[in-house]
Amino acid sequence: MSTDSTGDYDGPVTEEISVTVNGETVTAEVEPRLKLSDFLRNECGLHGVRVGCEHGVCGACTVQQEGRTVKSCLSYAVQADGMEIETVEGLAEDGSLHPIQEAFHETHALQCGFCTSGFVMATKELLEENPDPSREEIETGLADNICRCTGYQNIYEAVERAADRMEGGE
Amino acid sequence: MSTQQPTDAEPNVETDADAESESESFTGTGLPRVEDHRILTGEAEYIHDVTPESCLHMALVRSMHAHAEIVDIDTSEAEDHPECELVLTAEDVKEQYNPMPTGIPEVETDDGVEPLEEWSLAGDVARFVGEPVAAVFATNRYVAEDAADLIDVEYDTKEAVADGMAAREDEVVVHESVGTNVIDGERIEFGDPETTFEEADHVVEGEYSWGRISGVPLETAGVVATYDDETDSFDIDCNIQLHTLVDDTIYETLGYDADDVRVNVPADVGGSYGTKIAIHRYCCLAAMASKELDRPIKFVEDRIENLQGGDMHCSDREYRMRMAVDDDGTMCGLDVWFVDDFGAFPRYPVNQVLKPLSVVTNSYAIDDVVYEYELALTNKTSQTAYRGFGVDPHIYALEMIVDEAAREVGMDPTEFRRRNLIEPDQMPYTLPSKNIYDSGDYPATLERIQEIIDDERDGGLLDPEVVGAKREEGKYRGVQPSVIIEPGVSGSDWTDRQRSDREELEGRSREEVAELPEHLRAELRADGTVRASLATDSSGQGHQTLVSQLLADELEILPSDIEVDYLDSVDAPTEYGSAASRMAVMLSGATVGVAERLLENAEELAADHWGVSSDGVQYRDGSVERVDGDDSLSLADLADIDADRDERLTQVSYNYDHPATDHEEFDEAFRRKFPVYPTAAFGANAPIVEVDVETGEVDILKFYTVRDCGTMLNPMIVEGQAHGGIAQGVGAALLEEFGYEDDGQPQAITLFDYLLPSIENVPEIEMEHTVTPSPYTETGAKGVGEGGMIDAPASIATSINAALDPLEIDEPADRIPVAPDHLRKKVRDADQ
Repeated sequence: MSTDSTGDYDGPVTEEISVTVNGETVTAEVEPRLKLSDFLRNECGLHGVRVGCEHGVCGACTVQQEGRTVKSCLSYAVQADGMEIETVEGLAEDGSLHPIQEAFHETHALQCGFCTSGFVMATKELLEENPDPSREEIETGLADNICRCTGYQNIYEAVERAADRMEGGE
Repeated sequence: MSTQQPTDAEPNVETDADAESESESFTGTGLPRVEDHRILTGEAEYIHDVTPESCLHMALVRSMHAHAEIVDIDTSEAEDHPECELVLTAEDVKEQYNPMPTGIPEVETDDGVEPLEEWSLAGDVARFVGEPVAAVFATNRYVAEDAADLIDVEYDTKEAVADGMAAREDEVVVHESVGTNVIDGERIEFGDPETTFEEADHVVEGEYSWGRISGVPLETAGVVATYDDETDSFDIDCNIQLHTLVDDTIYETLGYDADDVRVNVPADVGGSYGTKIAIHRYCCLAAMASKELDRPIKFVEDRIENLQGGDMHCSDREYRMRMAVDDDGTMCGLDVWFVDDFGAFPRYPVNQVLKPLSVVTNSYAIDDVVYEYELALTNKTSQTAYRGFGVDPHIYALEMIVDEAAREVGMDPTEFRRRNLIEPDQMPYTLPSKNIYDSGDYPATLERIQEIIDDERDGGLLDPEVVGAKREEGKYRGVQPSVIIEPGVSGSDWTDRQRSDREELEGRSREEVAELPEHLRAELRADGTVRASLATDSSGQGHQTLVSQLLADELEILPSDIEVDYLDSVDAPTEYGSAASRMAVMLSGATVGVAERLLENAEELAADHWGVSSDGVQYRDGSVERVDGDDSLSLADLADIDADRDERLTQVSYNYDHPATDHEEFDEAFRRKFPVYPTAAFGANAPIVEVDVETGEVDILKFYTVRDCGTMLNPMIVEGQAHGGIAQGVGAALLEEFGYEDDGQPQAITLFDYLLPSIENVPEIEMEHTVTPSPYTETGAKGVGEGGMIDAPASIATSINAALDPLEIDEPADRIPVAPDHLRKKVRDADQ
């Protein structure tokens, strides 16, 4: 059953990349086929990037790349070379939650939590573009993320509460 | 008991600080969850975050055919791959291990009793697309998948059967040695249905389909297995549900004692809804390789594997319903027949064909009932549990035949329902199928939802002018409520009815009934805080919050002074755990019990310390005081005093017995192994739907719901459970289905094909509560985990029937999901 290594195998071809993740530069040798989501999770240790479908539907792996949300399962790490990435781990400062995280907590906008990083990141972009979104605008802004637990009701509440707080100058 | 009037729709949600400082009681408040912080910051550790050093990764080669003989498996190229460490096939597995336990282990045939075996890897025959035929182990997942691609399997394809009704014909048999696809079935009569159906003024009949759906949690199944050579035992971290109950599916397959297979579930699981109960195949294969290679093995299912061959689909039923009804609108008799397409193997949840007996007539008083099912095997991935556990299709089919009966007798469907509701003075109400509804005012609930609908008729979404104008555009609005029951807190004894001699059950004594309790531990720590340990696993329900809330009240301390963790399968006794709408009741009962024991012990310890009698001490607000006022001992003092004792008094455990065991009225159901569910949460929904007859699309404009789950331990969590269940019900009713081609090829293997409801598909939900405590439970709470998924699909379907009533379409919602193409066909057929 077991086999020994034979032949002249040198291991996979790799490429050096340098990515700024949550403000810190990470340099690594990666295979060209390494997904950005796996790079962030396994090379950078950022487990808040969740992997739910790996085909761009569920949105659990949503991060910000150069200030825009992307689904990190849909691109390769090498494509992020030289770019800035922010993940959910970059939000809390000095141990206190970001107003969006705080609002999700207070309104019970998470249950199993597997989708939560993605929703928090999508909400961040939504509120950066539109500090006071209507229900319809929230719907459109968060339509690329799936939550299987909450039925979305409290996610509306969370986004509205976060919007109020952030407008208040936080 | 008292029934409160509907409360404000907003639950009493506290901020952490408010709740800690001002509240007199934490139970009953919307205390924000202790689970949230680690999740929101990305620190929570789910199974896919567990990667021990030196671990190898598994990839599976899966059958691409629905039914095929496996002629040959050539693993040589994979084995030559320099980073591939091992390949396993059925041959290896059969040499050293056992088949996996199934729900129906053997079938009686003309030639005697034949075993029905399922192995971790398919041997001679592959029976569904996605069935694993080989496992490959390599340095990382990418390489493991490369190596899996190098395995060459030669198949000889066979004709497949992919439809439950067709499978009954046995033209294609999934398991040849067994000789039939219908491997279980039963017909049970309650009362005198034969006479009732003969004598009734009308008998209506209908056929209804419930398409194959499932929970599809965002986190797929995962495992990390580590074999310990020195002790010849396994540590298996995985996200299996009910790890203290179903660990036998792992250790029996491996051929080890329960104590040598330590199954541990992370505190955070990314959703399960029942579907992760049967992930043992992955656990076993990873464990086998770990033993062979003496290294940890990791596997996380990818989404395509999960959808096509993850052993996790659920109910897939064809119903034939009959109802006997009199001219005056009395429902006299009910006749339920269905076939459930279980897929290739009859796995653990075979008893979900029986759970509907716990609510067999829903909220209606009907005495004469026939309940008959057939369990059929097909060339599809096997079924597991999903929120509702087979009750959701039953309630849907029942509400469809109720609509049909109302039409037959020419009565308004709401009035027809109201006349047949079980009345409050009939509570507790014993169903013909012997389960008991504990409490509730069903007519009042129907009346309240009707008031809400009437308000919408007056200038709202259902205003006749608006409805008329919309019809001109081809958009038909409607709503049809009914009162729907959520059976809560399953007993465990009945769950093996299908593996029992059913005839012998009639003479069974009450003493032979064995129930599983819920286990909980608590200990005082040196710093005076309390640690509680759950013997179950969680997947988003907030059990840590719930226990800290309840325990804080019992011990008169703050929730923040309580930490709640989890026991693994070896440390915990075998018990039932988190499923079947059990935890609100079972955990609250266990918490009250464990606290009582801890307080008694604290007083004993203090009395002993001071050398006074137990009457001389009193526990209050986190310390024990001398009644004479001379001294007091804090929880930290008590932990310190106890630290030197041989028998620790500050470490306690408690087993909360199933609440029905103390009530003789459940004895008949227990003895005869009929489903015992002693709490009946209930509700009435009013989803206001708009059907576009040009496209067949259904839009839910607003979803009203009035619900009652007895005492609400944490109203915020209660509402969250209802929201989530209703959203899954919306998916079930309108979007989701694992369709199959006739040859058994699955049509939904990505989330582009299996449509989970997004924020755009779930309407605004407006919720009211009434509170009718359960007389059977410690806190008055009722089970609440599954309600929305049980009641929403039926309510949406009846509302679609109501919306299209003016078009005189024959039962438009006779198939779930009510997809646009189905409705369009119905509209076209009616036009002709």
